[in-house]
Amino acid sequence: MPPEKLEIFKSMENWAEENLLALLKPVESCWQPQDFLPDPESEGFYEQVKELRERARELPDDFFVVLVGDMITEEALPTYQTMLNTLDGGIRDETGASLTPWAIWTRAWTAEENRHGDLLNKYLYLSGRVDMKHVEKTIQYLIGSGMDPKTENNPYLGFIYTSFQERATFISHGNTARLAKGHGDMKLAQICGIIASDEKRHETAYTKIVEKLFEIDPDATILALADMMRKKISMPAHLMFDGQDDHLFDNYSAVAQRIGVYTAKDYADILEFLVGRWKVEKLAGLSGEGRKAQDFVCGLPPRIRRLEERAQGRVKQTSTAPFSWVFGRELKL
Amino acid sequence: MLLEGLSISCLRHCYGSLMVQAAGLKLVSVGWAKFTGFPSLKASRFRVSCSAKPETVEKVIEIVRKQLALKPETVLTSETEFVELGADSLDTVEIVMTLEEEFDINVEEESSQNITSVQEVADLIEKLVQQKAQGES
Repeated sequence: MPPEKLEIFKSMENWAEENLLALLKPVESCWQPQDFLPDPESEGFYEQVKELRERARELPDDFFVVLVGDMITEEALPTYQTMLNTLDGGIRDETGASLTPWAIWTRAWTAEENRHGDLLNKYLYLSGRVDMKHVEKTIQYLIGSGMDPKTENNPYLGFIYTSFQERATFISHGNTARLAKGHGDMKLAQICGIIASDEKRHETAYTKIVEKLFEIDPDATILALADMMRKKISMPAHLMFDGQDDHLFDNYSAVAQRIGVYTAKDYADILEFLVGRWKVEKLAGLSGEGRKAQDFVCGLPPRIRRLEERAQGRVKQTSTAPFSWVFGRELKL
Repeated sequence: MLLEGLSISCLRHCYGSLMVQAAGLKLVSVGWAKFTGFPSLKASRFRVSCSAKPETVEKVIEIVRKQLALKPETVLTSETEFVELGADSLDTVEIVMTLEEEFDINVEEESSQNITSVQEVADLIEKLVQQKAQGES
């Protein structure tokens, strides 16, 4: 990025202090995983665990596979904090305890996210429904692999990526909540729901940053948005591996699509939402390249939807795949 | 990102869990694959035994023109390579799907991976159309 672009983020520090940090929740008013799990210090602990496991028995394998995939994604948090700390323009936390608003945001965001993996991990452990060793192995592999969302140290690209991702997690945790409720597990529905509400707040924060960027530098921002969409928003856990399945991520995604937790339609919907949120259609004063980018981005959601419809309209043969996370049982893809 | 291979697997690698059927086969239900997971262009080029009829080539050209919104003066012949036209992976998937609908065929991933020019697409289509006709007779 050229120096004048880097300066933009420096000049946004006051704005970030006033607008971004306000979207963090003070620790004292945050929920903690323990709020949603059996109380280990109480006499009723064993009974609570028993009830949790009874409720979990009613949830099918394919639901658990998706929940596990989501949990593994959350547990790879070190990768995401790293990714934020690759961003130029004064965004990265230079010392690990830097007091710039951006660094404060990144650490506090990480701290909030950390509860998600912890909560899901403990729930899955207690449920007895999944092969924890394989799940844990997958997490170790994933953190080891990292991810490259092609944000190239560029905060324009980086914050567009995180905006998209937060909305995607909001949608998928919302869907697992709905499915859990449908299967009668209200406590799990609550768990997924509370996580989804955090993601929504984070989505608000990241989209706010990008909204400000559109205001300050609409041309660079629309070019960045088109660039990310051309590159495709790759999912953070796309390198997941459990030691056995070379197609683990594809298989997990297929199940997530089939049971309606996260679909291609959601991808199109998220983009459409962001186009609306950032008023992309109304952007003015763009360069020639900027206008092309604007057209591309605005025209993209219907194209994706059409492809999805055409794909769905075809005669399908089903295949299955085994998942180590559920003890090698085969699931429909 | 220019053409990586006129392939339904482009759709796979790009657009998440889209259920795509490639002719006769297993459901290619795909996840959000690695960003770099485009099918790699194989060294040996796919050779088709038959050459496409001129009408087929014309149809392919027409569809490609429309998909890429090419200016009328843009030269597009059977030899034209897709890379020259700036087609991205979404364009190529849409082109394949349109051709499938137009010719009422299914394009197999494997056979579409090495296609780089209009002629090659047309040849593949011709082959699939003929195979279909034989299958039905």
